Amino acid sequence: MDPTEARLQKLRGRAMPRNHNARTISALATNPGCGRRALMDAAGADKQKLAAYTGYPAPFGQSQFAIVRGNAFEAQVKENGAAQLLSLLREQLRLDITEAHYSDLGDVGGNETSEVRHARTKRLLTTVDEKQGTMFDHPLLRLRVGGRHAYLEPDLIAFQLHGKCHVVEIKSFAVIDGQADPAKVAAAAIQSAVYVLALRDLLGEHKVHDETILVCPENFSSKPVATPVDVRRQLTVVKRQLSRIARIEDLLGCCPDDLTFDLEADENGIPRRPAREVEAAIRQVPANYAPECLSTCELCYLCRDEAHGTTAALGKPVREELGGIEYVRTVLDLARGAAPPPETEEVAAQLIRAAGIRAALL
Amino acid sequence: MAEVTEGAETVEALERRIGQLRVAVREAVLAGDKARAKTLRAELKRAEQAWEDVLAEAEDAGITQSAQSPHSRQSAGNAGRTATPEQTGPLLPLREQVHEALSLLQVPAAPKLIATVHEAFFATTFPTTRVTSLRRDEERSFRAAPFARPYYICAALAADFLSPSRGLLAVSTWPMERRVIGSLSPRVDFLQAAIRIAEAIERIPAPVPAARRLLWRFAASIPGAAADASHIQPEAVRQAAEAELSVHKDADTRTRREAAARARHQLADTEQLFGTRSFRPAADQEA
Repeated sequence: MDPTEARLQKLRGRAMPRNHNARTISALATNPGCGRRALMDAAGADKQKLAAYTGYPAPFGQSQFAIVRGNAFEAQVKENGAAQLLSLLREQLRLDITEAHYSDLGDVGGNETSEVRHARTKRLLTTVDEKQGTMFDHPLLRLRVGGRHAYLEPDLIAFQLHGKCHVVEIKSFAVIDGQADPAKVAAAAIQSAVYVLALRDLLGEHKVHDETILVCPENFSSKPVATPVDVRRQLTVVKRQLSRIARIEDLLGCCPDDLTFDLEADENGIPRRPAREVEAAIRQVPANYAPECLSTCELCYLCRDEAHGTTAALGKPVREELGGIEYVRTVLDLARGAAPPPETEEVAAQLIRAAGIRAALL
Repeated sequence: MAEVTEGAETVEALERRIGQLRVAVREAVLAGDKARAKTLRAELKRAEQAWEDVLAEAEDAGITQSAQSPHSRQSAGNAGRTATPEQTGPLLPLREQVHEALSLLQVPAAPKLIATVHEAFFATTFPTTRVTSLRRDEERSFRAAPFARPYYICAALAADFLSPSRGLLAVSTWPMERRVIGSLSPRVDFLQAAIRIAEAIERIPAPVPAARRLLWRFAASIPGAAADASHIQPEAVRQAAEAELSVHKDADTRTRREAAARARHQLADTEQLFGTRSFRPAADQEA
C-alpha cells in the first residue's frame, strides 16, 4: 500500500469506504476549491454520518422512494434483454436491425470486484466492434479524480454504427409534454458528462459521442422516452474543474499526521469518540463554503456554521464585489468609515458611498 | 435464508436434525448459556418449520399428481382457470409453477417474466423474491441427490465464462444450446418468447386481458408487430418476431453451439446446470 493510500485509510478509520460516483464527482466539480470535501471523498469517509454525529445533520441524500422508483424504472427499461431500450435506441440512433447485442458486465464469471469488472469492460469496449456489441449494461469505468482512480458505473453504453459510443443515462423523473425539470436535466447532463469523460479516457476522444441519451418516463406513464442531450458544455466544465481539484497528496501535506475522522464505533456500530473531537478533526481541514453547497454536500450545515460572518457565506458574487474582504464585520466597519488598509482603499470608498446612499434613502 | 435452504433436505434428515437441536437446547439451558440457547432455539424453530414445509410440499405434489398428468397442465389450454391466489392459494408448489411458465416460453427467463406469464396463462402468480431462492434450493437438492428429480429449475449460463447468468432461470431438461446466453441471445430469446406467447394466445378461445397485455408488452418492442395496444393480432406479432429472428438466428446459434460444446466438455454435471464460478473465459483459451 502506498503512503497516500495508508494516510487516507487512517483518515477514514474503521468505517467501510464510500466510493466516488458520478454524483459525488459532479458535486465536487461544482466546488473544486473545497479541500474538505475532496479529502473526505478521497478517503471514502461517510460524510452523512459524520455530519449527523457532530450535530449538523443535512436533510440530504436521495429519498428512499426516489431510489426505489429509479431502480424500478431502470429494471423495466432493461428487462428482457433491454427490449424497451432497444426500440428507443433504434429510433434515436437509427441502430441497424442486426445490432441487438446485449452484454451484461455486472459480474465477470461471478466475480464482482471493481478491478476485474473494469478490466472486462475495457477489454470488451476496446476489442468489440458494432457487429458483436451494441448495448453494454453495468459497465465499469475509471476516472482520475484528485490523483486517484474513482470507479464509475454508467447506466448503459450503446454502440452505434461506425463505432461511436453513446452514454445512456436512465432517470426516473418524468418528461411532461416534452419538458422536464431543468435542474434535474442539468444534473443528469453533468453526470453523463463525467461518464463521457471516463469513457474517452478509455477509448480515445473520437470514439465517444458528445451527445448522450437521456431515458425518462413520458408524461404520467411509465413508458420510456429517449432524448438526446448535448453535453459539450458540461464536458468543458467538468474537465476544467477536475483539473483544479487540489491534488490529494498536497492536501494531505497540509494536515497533521494524526488526523482521523474515525468515529471509534464499537461492535454494534455505536460511535464512542466524543462528537466535539470529531468536529474539531473535520474543522482542521480547510473548507470552501458557498451557498451552492447546500444542495450538493452532506457537510453543508457544518461548513455554513463555520463560515458564519464571512463574506463567502453570502455567495460568490458578493465576495467578488467586496474585493477579497473576508469578514462581514470588516465590511461594515469600513462602511462606517474605519481606516482601511491600503489594499482595500478602493472598496472602502465604494462602501462609504453605498452607506451614504442607503442612509439618504432610509 | 435458513428456512429455505433446509427445505431441500429430506424429511428424515430434518427429523434427525430436530432431535439433535433439542438436545443442544437442553444442554445450553442447563449450562446457563442464554445467548447460545436463544440461537439454538431459533434454529430449532426454523428446522421445524422446514419440516412442515417439506410435508406440505409432498402433500401438494400428491394431490396434483392424482388430479391430472403433468403434461396437460403444461399446455396453455387451462389458461381460462380463473381462480386467483387470494381465493384459493396456489395449487402447485412454486417450482412446478415456474416449470409451467418456462415450458410455455421455452427460453430462459427472468423471475419477473416467469411470474407475469404464469399470471397471464395459469391465473396464479407468486412473489419474484421466492423464485430467487428457488434456484439455490434446486442446486442444493441436485448436489445432495443428482438427477433424483425429473427436472430441475436451473441457471442459464453466460456464454463467455459459463457462469450463472444473472437473474435468468431455465429448465434442466433443455438442451445446453438453449441454456447458454451469448450477446445476441437476450434478443433472440425475447423474440422466441414473443412467438410462443402469440401461439399460446391463439390456442385459447377467449384470452384473458392479462395475456393480451403481456403480448402487447412484447409487441411494443418488435418493429412492425402492432401499431397500438387495441389493434393487436397474435398472428401479426408472430410474423414480425419471426422476421427479426431470422436476422439474428444464425449468428446466435453459432455462439451458443460453441459455448454449449465448451460447457459439455469442461463442466461437471452440477456446473452444467448451475454454472461455474471459476474463470474460464472463451477468449483466453483461444489466445
